[in-house]
Amino acid sequence: MSEKTFFTNPAVSRVLGVAGAVLAVIAAMLPWSTFLLNKGAYPDKATLQFFDAPFELTGFRWELLIIGVVALVCAVAKVPAQRRVLRGLGAGIFAIGLINFGFIASAGGGLGAVTALDGTFAFGSVAALVAGVLLVLATIGQPLEEIPRWSTKLPTPVAYLGLVVSFAALLYVVSLTLTAGGQGGAASPYSGPMFLSFLGFAGGMFAGAAGLGVLKWISRLSEQHRVFSIVVLLLCALSLPFTDAGSEYWMTVAANIGVYAATAIGLNIVVGLAGLLDLGYVAFLGIGAFVAANLSGAAASQLGIHLPFYLVVIISAAIAGIFGAIVGSPTLRVRGDYLAIVTLAFGEIFQIAARNNIGGLTGGSNAMPNIPALEWFDGTAFNESITLFGAKLPSGVLYYFLIVLLIAAVMTVFANLKNSRMGRAWIAIREDEDAARAMGIKTGQAKILAFLCGAVLAGIAGAVFAHKTSTVSYESFLFMESVTLLAAVILGGMGSIPGAVLGASLLFVLPEKLREFSDYRLLIFGLALILIMRFRPQGLIPDAHRRAELAGEDAEGHTLQDKPGGDEPEQPKPQEVPAR
Amino acid sequence: MTAPILRAQDVTMVFGGLTALSEVSLTLDRGQIVGLIGPNGAGKTTFFNCLTGLYTPTNGQVLLDGTQLPSDPAHVTIAGIARTFQNIRLFPNMTAVENVMVGRHARMKQGPIATIFRGPRFRKGETDARTRAKELLDFAGIGRSGDELARNLPYGDQRRLEIARALATDPKVLLLDEPTAGMNPQETEATRQLIFKIRDLGISVVVIEHDTKFIFSLCDHVSVLVQGKLLVEGTPEAVRTDPRVIEAYLGKPPEEVQAEVQHAAELVGEHGDKGVGQ
Repeated sequence: MSEKTFFTNPAVSRVLGVAGAVLAVIAAMLPWSTFLLNKGAYPDKATLQFFDAPFELTGFRWELLIIGVVALVCAVAKVPAQRRVLRGLGAGIFAIGLINFGFIASAGGGLGAVTALDGTFAFGSVAALVAGVLLVLATIGQPLEEIPRWSTKLPTPVAYLGLVVSFAALLYVVSLTLTAGGQGGAASPYSGPMFLSFLGFAGGMFAGAAGLGVLKWISRLSEQHRVFSIVVLLLCALSLPFTDAGSEYWMTVAANIGVYAATAIGLNIVVGLAGLLDLGYVAFLGIGAFVAANLSGAAASQLGIHLPFYLVVIISAAIAGIFGAIVGSPTLRVRGDYLAIVTLAFGEIFQIAARNNIGGLTGGSNAMPNIPALEWFDGTAFNESITLFGAKLPSGVLYYFLIVLLIAAVMTVFANLKNSRMGRAWIAIREDEDAARAMGIKTGQAKILAFLCGAVLAGIAGAVFAHKTSTVSYESFLFMESVTLLAAVILGGMGSIPGAVLGASLLFVLPEKLREFSDYRLLIFGLALILIMRFRPQGLIPDAHRRAELAGEDAEGHTLQDKPGGDEPEQPKPQEVPAR
Repeated sequence: MTAPILRAQDVTMVFGGLTALSEVSLTLDRGQIVGLIGPNGAGKTTFFNCLTGLYTPTNGQVLLDGTQLPSDPAHVTIAGIARTFQNIRLFPNMTAVENVMVGRHARMKQGPIATIFRGPRFRKGETDARTRAKELLDFAGIGRSGDELARNLPYGDQRRLEIARALATDPKVLLLDEPTAGMNPQETEATRQLIFKIRDLGISVVVIEHDTKFIFSLCDHVSVLVQGKLLVEGTPEAVRTDPRVIEAYLGKPPEEVQAEVQHAAELVGEHGDKGVGQ
């Protein structure tokens, strides 16, 4: 079959794998920089000599140690899909090495900082890089294994427990990711590389888990127990303020991300389902926000009215929707690249109009400040801190709750549209517009409806956004934001809901975290995007057509639900592979 | 006899300076299978495109059940003409069932509001569409592949899926553009049986095909297009033995060709002699 090379030898693979894992563990204990960086030790003890304090690893070296030990276990033990797992872990180790190699070298002013200088040695990052390469080399000899399929034939309570544990773990990871590296600024000058290292670590571990089939197992299990999963996920999202991330700063960041995530889901209708490239989408968010600002009694509003929030949301959505239909109407005549240019032009028109304070509605460069905060029924303003279940929650947490509910609603709308006559028509248009027309789909109407639905969702998000930030300025709706939203959708996986949320989270949390790279921020950003698109063109969480796999198991899931703990022999399903 | 279900009258299609079709007429009676044959480039697919609203004929008209066809493919399909394509055009990243459900689009009535709130009526409509799609897949003989992505289906099944998808639009007339292209004899035979089954449902069928044996064993009536013109039409028996058809397909009999070649050679000879002489 394949050519016989050095790497196809199983013994070689084995040795490489074990060597790589061991080297990763050693790398975690080696010194990483030959001198103290200007802004202080990085992170805490990057210059630590293993022999001085062997058990005081922190930060990225602690992460490297964990991932190295996991890799060692997987390299030695006979785990299923070993090559897949090792490749994922190896990539994570390589990423941690590369990030810190690059950072320490650039912050320390040369390669001397990461190798040897004045008789001091610091080969930690080099060792991590080599370890990552060895692990990946160990897996290239033979084709990757199939991802194992673990049985989801579980008694309901066990399945529920598995789901709760999985989602709680997810919540923990989210909280860790959000807080990784600290807030940045003078207090923690190294938040950028620490955050990136954590991403490398988390990415490596997730890739390993995906290789083991754990992620697929969770997703199939949650498909089986859909309602339960949704409730638990929602509860998990709502309990984020109770974790380490429950400070005012992180709640603000999380709420901002949430607004963009909701907007990205709306954009996903236009781009992901209907396949229409929209480069000016953020304008709809802006329209929603400005309409809300004007109707909610902002100081600069010339209308001088203060409508209740639910009315504001409805009107914002309606006006954004009208603009959506208007922008969408060229799709009757214009296709592909030309449509992208039309939408780009619309985005620019909106932005320039807002900058020039058209009709006195946008405040121009003065923005629309002092939009009153929302109030709970008992008069608590949404930007006050509250006490819930005996825990004092930071201010802004109510907005976070509101936005979680907003995302849940937007997700529901998206999922319902997708699995319907309309959603199928959109996907059909994306796949082959002429064939879609030959199936009796009025493609012009359908495309305008796609624009309209996307714009309505963005308009709702905009109304919430206006209240949350209390100031709406045209600067929040520049071309860059449209591009970032588009990148979020594509990065996450077109047409996929969790993908859009993950993409938006990453793309809007990164700028927050990479402040200290200011000059290189966009460079790193672009590089990361290119790499991800090269190695995972389908996106991080692609819209897998899992229903195909699930067909047999859906029915089975129902029987299990009907008979809790049902241990009667089930009908054997020919396609079901027992757990290995 | 009732009025014909589909009648194309003097359909002419001109692209710039090229006349792709000139005054082609075709009549399709209810429950009939009509074959359309002709050499490559004869204008068969162009004629189909005129029948389905993809092209608006330069001249002439198409009547479905006595009414003029609208000039938009979506409306034509809604009016009751469904088609398949010469080079398969499924929705590759949708499952087989979803492909057929797309075909149900025009026959379902669900607005965006109902879609978002998913009331019982919406869910019933959705279930009905899925059930119907599965029935059609069974009908086309690919019921087991319902949850496969269309692009992963074997070639023959993709052709069948395209037919099932077209049937989902509840057509009165089905236009099949080379339904057996690239199929082996068994698959071709299965397709022939499938078309008979479709006819038995009361759907009239027009088939384009290169495989003349297939056409003559399938159709009630055959039309031959050559260079955009209707050359011959009639029963399979009459068309098969018509010398003009044989000529169009196989060229002239050897002796005539021989004579022509000789004639041409003489002409060249004369010119050549002249050239030398001068």
